[in-house]
Amino acid sequence: MVELEGYVVVPLRPTPQAKHCHSVYMREHFIRLMDPNKPKGRTLFLLNVPPYVTEDSLKTVFGRAGIVEAVEFAAKPGKEETIKWYEGTGEPFSNTRPPFKFKVAYIVFQKSSSIGKALALKSIDLFNSSGECLLQTGMQLWHDEYEGNYLLEAHKAKIQVSKYMAGYDKRERAAAEAAKTGEADADGWVTVGKEGRNAGFEQKASVVERLEQKVARDHKSKELKNFYTFQIRESKMQNIVEMRKKFEEDKRKIELLKQSRRFKPF
Amino acid sequence: MMLKAKRKPGKSDRIPKKTSKKADRADSQEDSSAVDHLHLEQSTPSSDDGFDEPEPTPAKKNPIQVTTKPKNNKFKQKNETKNVKPPTLEEMKELRDTQNLFHSNLFKLQVKEMLEELQLKTKYMEFIDSWLESFTVFTQQLKDGLMERTNLEVPLNLQQKPSGFVFSKPTKEPYLIGAAATGTLLGPKIVVDVALEMPKESLHKEDYLNLRYDQKRALYLTYVTERMQESPNYANDQFKFNYLANNPLKPVLELTPVAKQVTKHLQVRLFITAPLSSFKPGRFVPWNNNIRPSFYGDEWDEEEPLPSTQHYNANVLFDLTLAENQAHLEKAFKGRRNFQDGLLLLKVWLRQRELCIGYSGFGSHILAAYIVYLNSQRILHQSSSSYQVARTVWNQLANTDWTKGISLAPASIQTEELTKLASHYDVCFMDFTGQLNFCANVPLSLYQRVREEAKLAVDLLNDMKLNSFPLIFMQKCPLYSRVDNILKITNYSCVNQMLMLHSQPKFKYDYAKYGYPQLLQLLTELLKKGLAERVQSIIPLETATTAWLVENKAPSIGKYIQLGLILQPDHAYEVLNKGPATNEDPEGAAEFRRFWGERSNLRRFQDGSITEAVVWGTAQDSPAKKRQIVRQIVLHLLEHHLQLEGKDVQFIGAELDQVYRLSPWFKVNKLKTKLILDQDTDAEALSPHVIRCYDELARQLHGLNGLPLEIVSISGTSPIFRYCEPQPVLPQARVAGKHILASHVQRVVIQLGQSGKWPNELTALRALKTAFLIEIGEKLEAQCRLQWVMSAEGLLVLKQGFCFLIELAHSKELALLKQEVTERGVTTYVDNPASRTLERHHYILPKVSGALHSLHQSLSAFGPTVMLAKRWLATQLLDDGLWPEMATELLVAHLFQQRNAPQAIAAPQTGFIRFLQLLAHSDFTGELFLLNFNNSWQEQQVADLEHSYRSDRQSYPPLALATSYDIQHAGRLWTSDQSPSQRVLGHVTRLARHGLQIIETSLMSKDLRFVRPAQLFRGSNEGYDLVIQLKPDLVPNSLSYDLGSPFVSFSQPNFHLPPAGADRMARIVGQLRSAYSDFAAFFYNPHGGKELAIVWRPPTDFAPKPFKVTELQACSPCENGKVQVLKETLLEDFKMLLKDFYLRISTPEELKREQREHQQPKRYFNAKQPQEKSSLKPKKQKIQKDAEQEAPPKKKRLIKSSALKALN
Repeated sequence: MVELEGYVVVPLRPTPQAKHCHSVYMREHFIRLMDPNKPKGRTLFLLNVPPYVTEDSLKTVFGRAGIVEAVEFAAKPGKEETIKWYEGTGEPFSNTRPPFKFKVAYIVFQKSSSIGKALALKSIDLFNSSGECLLQTGMQLWHDEYEGNYLLEAHKAKIQVSKYMAGYDKRERAAAEAAKTGEADADGWVTVGKEGRNAGFEQKASVVERLEQKVARDHKSKELKNFYTFQIRESKMQNIVEMRKKFEEDKRKIELLKQSRRFKPF
Repeated sequence: MMLKAKRKPGKSDRIPKKTSKKADRADSQEDSSAVDHLHLEQSTPSSDDGFDEPEPTPAKKNPIQVTTKPKNNKFKQKNETKNVKPPTLEEMKELRDTQNLFHSNLFKLQVKEMLEELQLKTKYMEFIDSWLESFTVFTQQLKDGLMERTNLEVPLNLQQKPSGFVFSKPTKEPYLIGAAATGTLLGPKIVVDVALEMPKESLHKEDYLNLRYDQKRALYLTYVTERMQESPNYANDQFKFNYLANNPLKPVLELTPVAKQVTKHLQVRLFITAPLSSFKPGRFVPWNNNIRPSFYGDEWDEEEPLPSTQHYNANVLFDLTLAENQAHLEKAFKGRRNFQDGLLLLKVWLRQRELCIGYSGFGSHILAAYIVYLNSQRILHQSSSSYQVARTVWNQLANTDWTKGISLAPASIQTEELTKLASHYDVCFMDFTGQLNFCANVPLSLYQRVREEAKLAVDLLNDMKLNSFPLIFMQKCPLYSRVDNILKITNYSCVNQMLMLHSQPKFKYDYAKYGYPQLLQLLTELLKKGLAERVQSIIPLETATTAWLVENKAPSIGKYIQLGLILQPDHAYEVLNKGPATNEDPEGAAEFRRFWGERSNLRRFQDGSITEAVVWGTAQDSPAKKRQIVRQIVLHLLEHHLQLEGKDVQFIGAELDQVYRLSPWFKVNKLKTKLILDQDTDAEALSPHVIRCYDELARQLHGLNGLPLEIVSISGTSPIFRYCEPQPVLPQARVAGKHILASHVQRVVIQLGQSGKWPNELTALRALKTAFLIEIGEKLEAQCRLQWVMSAEGLLVLKQGFCFLIELAHSKELALLKQEVTERGVTTYVDNPASRTLERHHYILPKVSGALHSLHQSLSAFGPTVMLAKRWLATQLLDDGLWPEMATELLVAHLFQQRNAPQAIAAPQTGFIRFLQLLAHSDFTGELFLLNFNNSWQEQQVADLEHSYRSDRQSYPPLALATSYDIQHAGRLWTSDQSPSQRVLGHVTRLARHGLQIIETSLMSKDLRFVRPAQLFRGSNEGYDLVIQLKPDLVPNSLSYDLGSPFVSFSQPNFHLPPAGADRMARIVGQLRSAYSDFAAFFYNPHGGKELAIVWRPPTDFAPKPFKVTELQACSPCENGKVQVLKETLLEDFKMLLKDFYLRISTPEELKREQREHQQPKRYFNAKQPQEKSSLKPKKQKIQKDAEQEAPPKKKRLIKSSALKALN
């Protein structure tokens, strides 16, 4: 068994007779700030998992070492990486899929004893006892993908929509309800709606900007323009400065262009 | 919207104030410094002097900012003062000049840079001076004497050999002429023209007649050359003769001096001239005859006046007046840097347009004389800047007409009436002596062309939204790429036959039997009459003659002609030529019949008139067929009038257009459809069917009853709706079970009427959208009997054999995607990749699509050009993932905006050649392609964009495109860093250069035929490391005309219909790219390619590297605790992902060998064995490859292969 920098290196075999296999680097997951979803002592960390490996297949493989609670992927090790990996993928009616590339995996076992067993595995075998691959690739995959994910069956989709919308309406109503009651929350903040006596203005970038503009406009109208001699002189000066600035800027551009040798016509 | 900040209402009010102030400060850093300056300078009395009245607009804006915070000054004084020193008067003047004269400093500075670049090095100047000095000494040592037999050939190709010739030594010193005299020599090959005057004594009184002068001139040149060769001074130099401006009567000596450092770039040309007083004045006026018919053995009716030989006369006059003209020019240019620079600019402009080449060329000496003319007319001032000189010349060129004649000679000298002189020539510009017409040989069409180019230059300069510098000076615009069709006659016997039988004798005398201008005259006259308003102009395409060694015989030239036709797109493809009505104008009708011969028939038209007419096709013909009409006409005319058969001439018009035709393998008659389809139809002719079907669908959608919200807008976004789909789309889509099968899916975006009830959550919104689309589908089925299937992307609808994908756009979806909440709890809307994609698909693409559609409506060559371009890119194995299709369309649209040429492109083939030029010569890092549809970008916006583009180039993708519909995403919407990547861009540039080179050589060569489509539209098989062959029956062929894959020979095509919207190849390759692009690049032909070509990254990427957790992708451990990526493992991955699809993996070399041995490609059922072998073979191959890469690359390789190697 090869070990490298504290990682156990095992081959990942898609078929029993596979010769050139990817190497997966395993070790127990341990970092100072533990993620509650990846509990200490029960999580196995895998590096260099090929893109086509799925959560289910890993669950099956590591099921041989003990009961697996969860398998999660991420693009690289790190705090928010898992969330980023799965962002937008669980939602219904969305075409977002997790990226297809090399990744890391976290395998959470039910018992911490399973870790040792898992680390003792000689290889990660992605096939069942009869030698069939656990992964779907090729024609079968594309067919299933088309049938299952691309095409939507109308009446099923309709039911799904109405179910989802019912849930959504409920949530909306609850939120509206909460806005009306006007009670302070634990931190002492009160949620205010657009309506009612105590309505605040909408906290949108566009609204804020409009207000800012209004303030600036008010400010401006109070000023006298081009009135004092020094103002006029300043404005002239300003003009020169701007022309000069532009000239300098263009000169710099030319320098840049010069470097790319664009002045030889032939 | 909820908010959580109620307790401190004042706070939010204050925040904006603060930020606005901050912004102000940032804006007006310069202002405050200006104030500082003022404070500092107030003590000095001169502080106000330099300031003139400011321009009104900035004055209004600025002082406010200045006055808002005078307090800040104290703090800023120290670091900002250096920026504002008081301007000197000179600086003021310069600043103001640039502002007023040029639109931007940029243009001025660029011109300045270029002029500096063009400036001749002093070593050349010194060399020229010393050379001339020594040559003067040499000529003085020449002795008079009888010229005996020389061992040199007299550089003149005439039947009559002269008898004796007495050389008399020159009495006048040789002098510089042309560019060398005016100080406007132009690299890279510097040609110094030197004139040597024959003394009067060498010439007899009678020498004006029958080319005797020209013979003496040639003999004189030969004699001087021979003496020069004998002289030790010139012993090592290279002596060659050449014809000046392809004129066989004007041999010159081309001498390449062997001297250190100058020999590569410098050449001296020796002219022989004669003094003006050699002949009686008025001997060479245009209406005199100086070559008698009897000279050519012809008979001439004595009572008829002798035919005038104005062109020959001008040729002689050119020599005679040279000294005087030169003196005037020199006087005007000497010491005037501004005029010299102005002329240099004009020369660069002219040479880039190739208008100055050959016998009929518009030489740059004409421009030099014109500058002097404008100066004498007080249109150009002595002190005008170089830019003003160039600009004024363009302006005057564009707006004056020389056909009536203009003259440099003062009224006292100009004895003959200008109009009388002008009547003998197409274009008339008399010289200082009032005798020579500078433009004697310039045909009218070429002069018009120069005028149009000049007009374009002025327009470009006036366009404030444009950096016109590269367009005017930098861009190469070879003449052949500015014409739509080319007629090439190279067959020697045909040319002779035309000259013998059809050229009028008076032209023979006029041009001294030189064939080229006679042919030009003959053909232009005929074609102009025949093509009439179909053609805008017919311009000669000449190539300069090559020099020959002095010992060799002078070549005979002019037995070959190439004409470029610029078509008038509105009329060129009309199917009918209508003659005069028979009953009203019987003579005209007879003439018409004579002219058109058998093709002319008497026809009765709907308006009741009965006239002679020629019909070239029917109104229902496909556009491609109509484009053949001009060819038909030209060939018919040549045959009818000149007895030239089609095989004797080459008409280059639409050779490449076949690549978007329907594949001949697909039999249209097996298709069940109501449409009437031809077997030889093409993508262009099929597009309207789809569009018509879509229009009907749109009507049905609008008419749907009982929808909760009505459909307010429907727009098609697929390329076919703007005639840009190069693959023919036939009505073959059908329903099978619960699927729709279709090879193409046309995307349609609909928008619904306003409603406030849409949910505020993304998923809920999408759920509702799905429900809505299903509702539409059900209604369509119930009310219009259309079949539909719901998919994740939208609603698939089948109509008349075409499949449409209806998507629902909703602005709230976009808003929700963009929505972000800042830390302060303010909701902002920020663009992100997902929102950008959605906005592009649902909002911007429909608008751009509409704009491109209308572009095609006005310029019908746009669509087919895009088709050619797309087909070309596809056959070079570049798919949408590597090079976005929209980029192609927008680049072609950029070409069709009237910026690049004075006239619209009428032939797709020309458009395609220009597209290749654009790819080959564009500076992608420096240029942003802006498509200002409807001119909606404002000047300031364009300037800002340019500024941001230049200063922040890194943040833009390698190829930046912007349209007027994506101002807020400018440059980043259509392309990204990955597509096309820098590498692919470089690759495409090299491919385009290679393609252009093939085209150019075939066009410029006398013997070659024009390129065959297969030469351009089949990729190279070199440079790829591996080829994965896919099972041919699993990948359907495209319907477009296939010229073969670069790797394997033709196999039986299959036209299976895939499930609609599956687009399997694109998805598979997309997957491979997303996972393995760090290790390899993948190429395939999106138009039905059945091979996947792979190029590995350079070997350094596969070298062992230290263990790093973040860089461990695909690595296996190797020795010393290092890790390494193994290609074998990756290959196993590819095989696994392509399971069921792939046939085998091999190297291109193996495939090639197999092709040579005519082996049947192995079928997948017996492919098991080779598979295993091939998995081993690549390793060997790789070792070889690595070795090869270390060795210096072989030069003989095709450009393409080296191009691909550079991809690594």
